[in-house]
Amino acid sequence: MSNGVPTASFEQWIEAMKLPEEAVLPQDLEKIKRFTEVVTTESDPQVGQTPKEVIWTKNKSKLYHYAPHAKKTNKVPILFIYALINRSYILDLYPGNSLIEYLVNDGHDVYLLDWGTAGHEDRHMKIDDYIVDYIPRAAKKVLKDSGAKELTIYGYCMGGTMSTIFTSLYNDILPIKNLVLMTSPTDFEDAGLYTNWLNKDTFQLDKMVDTLGNIPFEMIDYGNRLLSPISNSLGTYVGLASRIENDNAVLTWKLMQKWLNDGVPFPGEAYRQWIRDFYQENKLVKGELAVRGQEVKLSNIKANLLNICATRDNIVQPEQIKALNKQVSSKVNTLHEVPTGHVSVCTGRYAQKEIYPFVSKWLKDHSK
Amino acid sequence: MTNQTFDAFGIWKEMYDRTESAFRDSIQSTLEQPAFAEGLGQVQKQYLQYQGLVNGMTESYLKQVNVPSRDEIASIASLVINVESKLIDLEDQLDVQEDAHDSHAKEIKQLKTTVNRLDKKLDTVIELLTKQVEAKAAATPTPTPKAVPQKPLTPAPNAQVKTAATPAAKNTSQTKK
Repeated sequence: MSNGVPTASFEQWIEAMKLPEEAVLPQDLEKIKRFTEVVTTESDPQVGQTPKEVIWTKNKSKLYHYAPHAKKTNKVPILFIYALINRSYILDLYPGNSLIEYLVNDGHDVYLLDWGTAGHEDRHMKIDDYIVDYIPRAAKKVLKDSGAKELTIYGYCMGGTMSTIFTSLYNDILPIKNLVLMTSPTDFEDAGLYTNWLNKDTFQLDKMVDTLGNIPFEMIDYGNRLLSPISNSLGTYVGLASRIENDNAVLTWKLMQKWLNDGVPFPGEAYRQWIRDFYQENKLVKGELAVRGQEVKLSNIKANLLNICATRDNIVQPEQIKALNKQVSSKVNTLHEVPTGHVSVCTGRYAQKEIYPFVSKWLKDHSK
Repeated sequence: MTNQTFDAFGIWKEMYDRTESAFRDSIQSTLEQPAFAEGLGQVQKQYLQYQGLVNGMTESYLKQVNVPSRDEIASIASLVINVESKLIDLEDQLDVQEDAHDSHAKEIKQLKTTVNRLDKKLDTVIELLTKQVEAKAAATPTPTPKAVPQKPLTPAPNAQVKTAATPAAKNTSQTKK
């Protein structure tokens, strides 16, 4: 090119790069157009559609009762507890792809404690506060509302760890019949890459909490994505592109993205405690954890235990989960391993066909 | 080239499938290095220093222009949360009292039933006794007029009281039932 005028050689090069019209098929163009739509402009699917009513609130938390007018054939109600960084709809993702919807349709009486979104004023909230001030009250409300004599506590991820601590403290005070956990860590001795990254020498835990107050969800999400950076970034879009013509696959992709990208801030002091007491000092499994001065002994757990472990989970290592079964005093002590990841344990085709029916049957068998 | 079709997604997927495992392994080994954790810590430290500086500057600016800072607004929210906590405590206490009241009401109901049963039994006993007395009285031979004591000229005050008391006693027993 000279003086802005294309030279003959440049024109030839452009000509050579041009694809003949017949090389680009209309269906390929359609695929590209659809891909662009899905990634950029299309609206998110509507999540959390199972009918529910709020029966109790405290600060930002709400206690939901699902399908209150549906017929309940299982007399023991279930109280769901999930992680502090997620949204409540993750367990009721989409009709036909929802653990809560499945259980409700199978005759279970389902409740869920929604943590809400922590504000700056909640930065001093500790895990102790959630375990002592929120969960026991919610459990009492469930018992009163349902008129049941016993209840099942069902924890997912960090919510499962909190449920474990709660059960160990309240097993003799409240009638906890069953404890069901999904991908919930107990032993933090080897937490994979997190053990390296969150070590006391390099990780700026105190400075982080003191400066930021609540920890933004994006920061926690960044850490999770870093566990497998290529498949969590590029791989997601390659996967979408290869199944762009399948509407069901596109819907599943969008639901996953909504789950993964839509989190809430982690209350500051709870984060400090979670990282220090669990990841850095591994206090729970060693029997050194105290909640408001009360020692947490896993051997105090006598409720029937179902511990679900996802073998392809890269956020919580299977060994972190299995440790609990060795420490509890439960007469019914079930460890159930499934070939899924951290999210696909409660959503997706395998979960719908295998895990939901298994959990429902186990609950029915152990609620008599 | 004219015989080929251009499938952008196909090429993309193929490239990804061929290179992903190689990249993953190399990145994975980097992520596992202690040096990576140190680097991460350094980045975190610098970011937090910058953020701390911004927070401090923002706060002093807001103070100068008489605008409440985030902390000040949050402290008001905390006060509201504290009030709500007190309300929840009161609600819990009311629940406890309501439960206690329910159990008391249950006990009172049980007590009433028991008293009613006792009342019925007593009525039966009284009835039987009356019948027995009447039967005895019927079996005893009528005394000769000589043996009958002389009636007083004025009626005994007890007789009136007795007649007045009888329906009252009956009414009480009916109320109890």
